[in-house]
Amino acid sequence: MNKLKIYALTLVFSGFMASCKEQLQVENPNQPSSPALKTESGLVSFGEGFYITGFKDVKYYDGVPGYFWSGAIGNHELMGDVIGTDIANVFINQIGCPNQVTLDDGTVLVNPNSPSKQIDFIRITANVNSTGFQNSTYYEWAYMYNLNNAANTLLANIDGVTFTGEADTKKGVLKAWAYWWKGYAYSHIGSIYYAGIINDKANGEVLNGTNGNYVTKEAIIAEANKNFDAAAKILGGLTASADYTATMQGLIPNFNRVGKGGVLSPAMWVRNINTMKARNILVNTRVADMTAAQWADILTLTNSGVQATDLVFTGRSNATGDFLSPTTGTVSGKTTGANNTYKISERLIQDFKTGDLRLSNNFQQRSSAYIGETSRGNAFFTRWNLINRGAAGSEGSASVITYSNTNAGGYELYMASSYEENQLMKAEALMYTGKIEDGLALIDEVRKAQGAGLAAVAGTGLTLDAAKEELRRERRVGLLFRALSFYDARRWGLLESGRKNAVALSRTGVVSTKATISYGYLDYWDVPDNEIAYNPPASGSAATKNPK
Amino acid sequence: MGKKLLLSLLFVCSICVVTWAQDRKITGKVTQADDGTSLPGVSVVLKGTTVGTVTDSDGGYSLSVPAKGTLTFSFIGMMTKEVELGASSVVNVKLSSDTKQLSEIVVTGTGVATDKRKLAISVESVSAKDLPQAPSASIDQALIGKIAGAQITSRSGTPGADVNILLRGINTINRGTSPMILIDGIQMGATSLQTIDLNSIERVEVVQGAAAATIYGAQGANGVIQLFTKKGKNGQLNIDISSSIAQNTYLNVGGVSKAMYHAFATDANNNIIGSSGKPITYDAANGIYSENVQYNSTDPTATNSKPYNANLQYHDHFAYFFKPANTVNNSIAISGGSQKADFSLSVSNSHQESNIINNGYFDRSNITANIGAQLAKGLTLRSITQLAYTKNTLKTSDRTILYGMLNAYPLADFSLTTTDGSIPFNMNQTIGINASNPSYRQAYTRNNDNKVDIIQNINLNFKFPKFVELDAKYGLNFQTQNRDLEFANQANNANVKYWVTQGSQNFISNYNTANTGDLTKYTNSKMFQNFLATATAVFDLKEDFGSSIPLKSITQALFDYRNSTVKEYTSAAIGLPAAYAPYNAANTTSWRVYRDYQEPFITYGYLINQRFEYGDFAGISGGFRSDYSSAFGQGSKPFTFPRGDAFVRLSALPFWQNSAVNGFLPELKLRAAYGQAGIQPKPFDRYVTITPTTVGNTTAFYYANGQSNPALGVEVSQEIEVGTDMVFSLFKGSSWLNGIALAATYWDRQTKDAIYSVDVAPSVGLGTLIDNAFTLGSNGIQFSLNSTVYNGSALKWNTTINFGKQSSKIISVRGDAPVVVTSNAGSTNYVLKAGEKIGQLYGYKLIHSVDAKDPNGNFFIPQADQEAYTVASNGIVVNKATKQPYFTADKYSFGDPNPKFNMSFINDFSYKNFLTFGFQFDWVAGNHLYNQTKEWMYRDGIHSEYANPITIDGQTGAWTAFYRGVYAQRTANGTKDYFYEDASFLRLRNIQIGLDFAKLFKIPATKKLQLVLAGRNLWTLTKYTGFDPEISSGTSNSAWDRGTDHSTMPNFKSYQATLNIGF
Repeated sequence: MNKLKIYALTLVFSGFMASCKEQLQVENPNQPSSPALKTESGLVSFGEGFYITGFKDVKYYDGVPGYFWSGAIGNHELMGDVIGTDIANVFINQIGCPNQVTLDDGTVLVNPNSPSKQIDFIRITANVNSTGFQNSTYYEWAYMYNLNNAANTLLANIDGVTFTGEADTKKGVLKAWAYWWKGYAYSHIGSIYYAGIINDKANGEVLNGTNGNYVTKEAIIAEANKNFDAAAKILGGLTASADYTATMQGLIPNFNRVGKGGVLSPAMWVRNINTMKARNILVNTRVADMTAAQWADILTLTNSGVQATDLVFTGRSNATGDFLSPTTGTVSGKTTGANNTYKISERLIQDFKTGDLRLSNNFQQRSSAYIGETSRGNAFFTRWNLINRGAAGSEGSASVITYSNTNAGGYELYMASSYEENQLMKAEALMYTGKIEDGLALIDEVRKAQGAGLAAVAGTGLTLDAAKEELRRERRVGLLFRALSFYDARRWGLLESGRKNAVALSRTGVVSTKATISYGYLDYWDVPDNEIAYNPPASGSAATKNPK
Repeated sequence: MGKKLLLSLLFVCSICVVTWAQDRKITGKVTQADDGTSLPGVSVVLKGTTVGTVTDSDGGYSLSVPAKGTLTFSFIGMMTKEVELGASSVVNVKLSSDTKQLSEIVVTGTGVATDKRKLAISVESVSAKDLPQAPSASIDQALIGKIAGAQITSRSGTPGADVNILLRGINTINRGTSPMILIDGIQMGATSLQTIDLNSIERVEVVQGAAAATIYGAQGANGVIQLFTKKGKNGQLNIDISSSIAQNTYLNVGGVSKAMYHAFATDANNNIIGSSGKPITYDAANGIYSENVQYNSTDPTATNSKPYNANLQYHDHFAYFFKPANTVNNSIAISGGSQKADFSLSVSNSHQESNIINNGYFDRSNITANIGAQLAKGLTLRSITQLAYTKNTLKTSDRTILYGMLNAYPLADFSLTTTDGSIPFNMNQTIGINASNPSYRQAYTRNNDNKVDIIQNINLNFKFPKFVELDAKYGLNFQTQNRDLEFANQANNANVKYWVTQGSQNFISNYNTANTGDLTKYTNSKMFQNFLATATAVFDLKEDFGSSIPLKSITQALFDYRNSTVKEYTSAAIGLPAAYAPYNAANTTSWRVYRDYQEPFITYGYLINQRFEYGDFAGISGGFRSDYSSAFGQGSKPFTFPRGDAFVRLSALPFWQNSAVNGFLPELKLRAAYGQAGIQPKPFDRYVTITPTTVGNTTAFYYANGQSNPALGVEVSQEIEVGTDMVFSLFKGSSWLNGIALAATYWDRQTKDAIYSVDVAPSVGLGTLIDNAFTLGSNGIQFSLNSTVYNGSALKWNTTINFGKQSSKIISVRGDAPVVVTSNAGSTNYVLKAGEKIGQLYGYKLIHSVDAKDPNGNFFIPQADQEAYTVASNGIVVNKATKQPYFTADKYSFGDPNPKFNMSFINDFSYKNFLTFGFQFDWVAGNHLYNQTKEWMYRDGIHSEYANPITIDGQTGAWTAFYRGVYAQRTANGTKDYFYEDASFLRLRNIQIGLDFAKLFKIPATKKLQLVLAGRNLWTLTKYTGFDPEISSGTSNSAWDRGTDHSTMPNFKSYQATLNIGF
């Protein structure tokens, strides 16, 4: 009898096992899985997600430098000497610390950090896999490859989905979107790293991986342009129909569709691409090494580049910081005020011409110089700070550009090309090809557009050198916080030759005006060690380490 | 589903009730041999049957039995006695206490209640009387030092903090070291150990190894701690009241303090000046110091030698922010029972204040009920209920407060307010670049965290008259948490307003990106159900079938099912009223839901186990367990865990019992066990999802950088343990050292397929992939020595020594690339690498002679450069010109940070049953901590050691360049052996003396009137220079993040007075 009961019980158990088994597929009830992506609206949502995956979501994060637009780009602006810092998170005080500053009285302020040279710091301290999240050189690489991968994933799924309405237009917009951001990502990679990887595989739903064939930075830039061209080709066949606009509105967050941001027409978008292609030439060639053919290419591209009334790719904050936080999402936000992460550099201030309203509308002299932690750097001491929303106590002058606005949605971040950049590249090409006055006229045009209130320099008979100086200053001032300052420092040779006649402060606040700064920064970073550790170079790869 | 099975089992059971012939009545009384007092609760059973009873409050019993047979009298802690029935109908029995400590019955890890003498695995057990009444009144704190082999450490002194528990080895990286917690046989999956009231627990059993935990299958690999709640005893009504008060003072055993001197720029009057050249002043309108200090720490001529005696004074921030705090515990318990039913009810409350000023308290109330009833012959029903209500008003995490405080120059006067009475937040960089005013947080934060825990177990047990026992248990464990966290509107704070005019935003908030405050509401719940059905069949050839072979077979079949649902909901109101109070969330301007999360998890499995025992001499068992789980990858294939064990009890052989050796070694058992147990992946580790996120007015999708893995399997830990249990009698017949019980175990285990998020190459476009990537290995030995050192007529002295030694390492990592892990404590140089110990730190080393050589035989400092270096008076090589220390260019392992061994010495004395005295020492040897707290304090010249003069190249001074260099050389805030400290310690964990007035003065109707004076953590011997060598700032119960001290609240020492009253 007992046996019988045990059998009965066993039977009950077996019944349970069978019914329980169905319960095991609990899935994840909080989030959709890959099928959600494979619809028209899913793909558009995924395209909008580029703003997150490309600029906000990599495996490391430190809130002090923050995400891409304040952290990774912060490195550029620090090395470009428009800002300085004595904050040490992710070594931001060291990535932009010059090797030495020689003051007017002959005092030499060496880099007090250890290692005391930026190149050694990158090689010994930062770019070592075990340094983990503190590797300053990891971030731009990781964000941009995230963006590339998201674009690959989008491309891999477009043709498998059925679209309503003007299906070809919608598909075209999504493909152009993907190629544009791939071009953008490779442009960033090729403009800061010595080598890169071309990866067209889609990772996400499954892991398809990458490859170990590292190629030169030049090949990466070529790949960037190839993708830009692919986007331009598609855009050439599109018109700004209702379906075009609706799809673009799905891709560009509503808070970014303000001011210069918005739904670009296919033609505007192509012009944005041309300006980016011009940038790829300009910022990756030493100005001394530019060839006539390159200047001619820049002229051609900028002539069909961004126009004054064109919409461009911008980023704005909202109160919830979905893409950018109002106060901390950008370099501008993190520089604003007397006591922020980044401090405005004396070398930026000295590049403003006397009477430039952009200076008075945006900057304020402190009651006493900011000296800070002298053991962390030698060049961040400053008498200035960046004012929020223009001149103190008001919104500033409406006719003059503001470099900071920490209200939600207040600050317009240029993510890619801009009209000013296009015109200044064109101006430079003109000057270097003998058309000094034509170039100066464009500088005046930019100054006027930004409300600088400066007298025209065209027609004042400036020499080529004087014209170049106007251009240099205008790129520093007119393109402030557009992630171009390091590229300029590099192509002008400042990393090696340093800067003379610089304004610099001593550790007790004494002002030098003829100081010499030796930067000594690495011009193109080595491939991040985290990549090398998990993806060692295959044979035949380009060098992953800058020989400098 | 659980319910259905329960009902069907009940049905099956109820039809099987049969009657049993009864012939005559036996009565008697059971007393204690030592002092003749009556023994209630003794189990009296007719041998070989289920006929039995328990003695009443006077020790009396009455039982109907057949004409012939043997009565077995058993009681925990007493020697079991068998009496053959004769003609007399009165059987009085005296039980003597069992000094061998081996006669206990254990159930954990065995499936079937088993006499410890017949156990082939090691199971540690502690009964309530051996647990100290810790000020936290929580079971986890009480267990520290009590379990041989286990490393249980009090990692933080924050009220309500949990302990780190490491039983045998680090077996997983993914899920931490926490063992499974069972309460009366049912897993407690929602409530944490520190929520359980110490007063409600009768006994604790701990199974440490996988070999024993196989019966728990895919959740057993970290070991099992099983709690048994107090039961009422037959015929005895007990009322116990306990009330205690303790005063707790934070520990600072390393004497951490801030430098009494400074090296800031000063004027002729020693006023600290700013870059303007003027003395720094406090601007009371805005709550700021006027300017930054001028401090050039790397100047090789600078010394930390100026007193704070002019415009800015020295402030002792420790004295300002820390305070002694009180803990009050109260508890009332009533228990009793009859032959058919028993009950035990208790109510208790524990209230503990924070050791930080104005930081709230932690308060816990518990209600426990354990009710048992015999429904029919052989059929018992037991219901055990635990309710806990926890209220936590602690405002700010200890780390935040300590970090802000420790990083402030002593010149900061945190008692200053602005002219309008506001507390300033950012008093300017003058007080230190990373310092902020902790008082500001306390002024603008309100936290009201309420948790209700329900643990309900129902157990239905049916014993057939012979052979088979059926048991069904259902447990429901539910926790609900309602927490309001408010950061008040700070827009009117004068200091905040000042910074706004300077373009800087300084405020605290949870979600608000402006200074207008927010109110976040967390509504979380955890529901955990565990159903367990067991059928046990026991056949004894000798007893049941009259065979001469004493062979017993025990077959166990078990099914269990676990279902867990975690729900988390977080919403926040942004922008709180500033003009009026009180207000509620409905008065605010905007709302948003930040989290709405559900985590279902289901697992079930069955176990088949077969055991044979040959008399008392030997036993062998084997079986397997199969588990299914919603977390297992690719479908629902089960994982199967085999097990087996065996013991030989030599002392049970006739030759042994008759030989001389029995005189001094009356008990000797050898045992061995093998088993596998698992650790489940996290519920969603296998589900690849798209993350939807709100971007403006639409939703964007992306694949998050951490990638799930559909192919994920369970982590499998396998173990072999061998051990012995023995009892020595050294001076038989005397009062000294008569029963020394030794239990010793060696174990060796390996975890295959340990899960962790392993990096993928960033060019993949993702960050990490969860993978079964690691193989981990550990081994160790443990022993416990229990002895009655002296057992005289009045004085009794018991000693326990617990010892454990273990080590865990990474055997292999898939792909062989090291995995960099970031400590919760802020250190970066934990690297998980094949061949290394888990938790090993890498960093730069100091050298102690200028011509020191690296492991390859090369000079660290090239010969040509050695001229520039010298050995300072503290033995460290420094650069003569810069006065900065030399650190190696390469990073080296600092060695195994884990303790070499843990040991506890526990002594209890009792004198004539009214006076008790006891103490416990815990010794953790070879333990290391990375003193990150000190490294931060070194950064800005704050640590007191900055004022210690050293001699470099003939010059003596408190050179700031040296101390700053320790922090900054090679890598600022890099991991350096300078801060890697020996954190071994010997701690007087408990000392208590108790006097029972009821027994002393023989007060009528009062069982107990005991006053206990106790101290906890009163004395510590250590070389560690931080607050407390026991703390760990890593994630709680992390596998690898164990060895860093970073601004964690130290433990406290307590003086406690307790009054225990029993009726």
